[in-house]
Amino acid sequence: MLDRLQRNGSPASERNYQIAKWICFTIFLLLIAFAYVDVGTISIGSNNYNLSLIRLNKAIAYTIAILGLQVVIGYTGQIALGQSFFFGTGAYVSAWLIADHSWPFLLTLLIVIPSCFLIGMILGLPALRIRGLYLALLTFGLAAVFPSIVKLDKLYGYTGGAGGKLTSNYKFLAPSWLPFDEVAQALQKLPLLGDFFGDGPLSTREESRLWKFILFSILAALCFWLVHNLIHSRPGRAMRAIRDNETSAAVSGVNLAITKTLSFGVASALGGVGGAIYVAEIGIASPDDFSSLVAIYLIVGLVVGGVGTLPGAVIGGLIYALVPDWASSTQSISFVPERWLQGPTGSLILGILLIVLTLFLPGGIVMGWRRLKAMIRNNKSHLAIKNLDKA
Amino acid sequence: MTLSVRRIWGLNMDLFLQRVFDAITNGSTYALIAVAMVLIFKATTLINFAQGEQAILGAFAVLQLWYWGIPMWGAVILGMLFSAALAAGLERVFIRKFDPADHLPLVIITLGLFLVINAVAAIVWRFDPQSFPELFPSGNAFTYNNVRLSWYSIFAFGSCVLVLIVFQTLLTRTKTGLAFRAVSSNLESSRLSGIKVGPTLQFGWALAAAAGTLGASIYAANPVLQIEPSMMLRALIFSVTAAALGGLDSLWGALIGGLTIGFVQSVVVQYIPFIPNEMSLSAAVVVLLIVLTLRPSGVLGTKAVERV
Repeated sequence: MLDRLQRNGSPASERNYQIAKWICFTIFLLLIAFAYVDVGTISIGSNNYNLSLIRLNKAIAYTIAILGLQVVIGYTGQIALGQSFFFGTGAYVSAWLIADHSWPFLLTLLIVIPSCFLIGMILGLPALRIRGLYLALLTFGLAAVFPSIVKLDKLYGYTGGAGGKLTSNYKFLAPSWLPFDEVAQALQKLPLLGDFFGDGPLSTREESRLWKFILFSILAALCFWLVHNLIHSRPGRAMRAIRDNETSAAVSGVNLAITKTLSFGVASALGGVGGAIYVAEIGIASPDDFSSLVAIYLIVGLVVGGVGTLPGAVIGGLIYALVPDWASSTQSISFVPERWLQGPTGSLILGILLIVLTLFLPGGIVMGWRRLKAMIRNNKSHLAIKNLDKA
Repeated sequence: MTLSVRRIWGLNMDLFLQRVFDAITNGSTYALIAVAMVLIFKATTLINFAQGEQAILGAFAVLQLWYWGIPMWGAVILGMLFSAALAAGLERVFIRKFDPADHLPLVIITLGLFLVINAVAAIVWRFDPQSFPELFPSGNAFTYNNVRLSWYSIFAFGSCVLVLIVFQTLLTRTKTGLAFRAVSSNLESSRLSGIKVGPTLQFGWALAAAAGTLGASIYAANPVLQIEPSMMLRALIFSVTAAALGGLDSLWGALIGGLTIGFVQSVVVQYIPFIPNEMSLSAAVVVLLIVLTLRPSGVLGTKAVERV
């Protein structure tokens, strides 16, 4: 208490502190974007690791899907494992609209969000009767089924069958009013740090990559803002009440049916947005990108980041986008036999992460960080109290 | 309508019979994995998502032992012992410390085991499909026109029934079985009456893994299939549906559920024109949805009574 009083003089200064923090974060993101727009690999030992904007854009897509899982698992406590189903639905709807109807990407979201929301609500209806493990089972089945639905001959015209749906006809051209070139040139002239930002003006491709990253980041920020508000509003409190104790929530007047379906709908819509971004990034929607393994990986992201924490989704998305990829580009580590590096090492690492974190750090990385911070802060306040005693 | 019925019964009787036999073959293997699920669910009310992967790991161990020159059935028994020991270890290290009533961490742990075991199997034995040695005499036991009933089908069904009888006897006639039933009926009371709950559950896990390994070995020994690390994923969905259909805590329900799912997959889906062939997995999930919504305790399962 004392500590809080000391740190936050007044609500106004706390607000300024927050705003400053977010501005710093945005500038940091932009610097990262400009720095990695051309190179995109870092080398450790003899291995090259990809850190291009393509990876980061994928991470944003996963982050939004994991954010949906946060709503339904983290805040409502319903064990729904089938996020890859909605991820895939969003991806395919968006791909279909872009490829066959030449819609621009942002406009497809207007269809993707309501349709995924509706499908999620409808598929969430059984969850009113089915609880706990049974729901986990059913949603896992849903995730396993998605690729075979997409591959159906009857849907070939819409989904492109096993080959997938190409959306390469839509190019992300950066709007000309954005001063990308000027910023890049200015950054290159910085003393000492200038080398990190490449040289010469940006190519069209780099500009479009940059534009995608910024656009997706803005979308992700919007999603986070909306979910944050949802969680701290009346329906959000109802969700958390259901998570903590369903019976007492019902007794206190929470409408279980509406709240649960709402949380399923929101989660699915977020999954859909994630899928649409994923397709916009890689340019093709193919059935195997939305298998049940993806559903499990998204759960890994959720757990590793921290169940029931919003920043956890970002960490989870980064881990999902980077760990399997980096594991497969690791060609040699001394003392590790080559055989163990060529197989599905990423899957192995993610599985181990999942088990280890559940055993030893149930709140994920975010909770661990918060606990660490609290420990340090507590130590300080102990010191302060000791000093008070002396005086 | 009559016409179409006559077409099924008259002209394509052979095909129909053949499909029924296929249904029994597939259904028995699903039932064996479903039995494993049921054993674990009975004890801990936990659905083990890693069950299929544990089973495939066991089957790979069987294959490896066979490569080393151990006769096939000896290898199967050693493989079952290996996976039982492994499962007992997994239960002790990863499962026991969690509260059985809190489902999320347990689901996550079994998903983690799923990833790890799958990856290890793929790293050690590679992704390429390998042929699995035959467990049962090859050839057909019975041929009539074009209908063939292979020895494989008969033995698969027979071993499923045999396993069920063995488990039934084990659970009803032995002291360990009595302890197991007591724990699955009421964990707290059995702990109070002096039953060692932990080792009993561990025993359930070991038994389940042994059944799963046998199931996966029989599944892989199907002459038309080859063994590969991801083959169990489809079978897992079918088996889980079978277990839920039969009632998640009923051993014989697993057999009924397995046969029903086999029947849906090999017969029903084939005769309904608007369901394409590849949709058998989706059909299973739809069956699961219907069962869980309308009759969550399955056909033979005990109804859950909740005191609030």
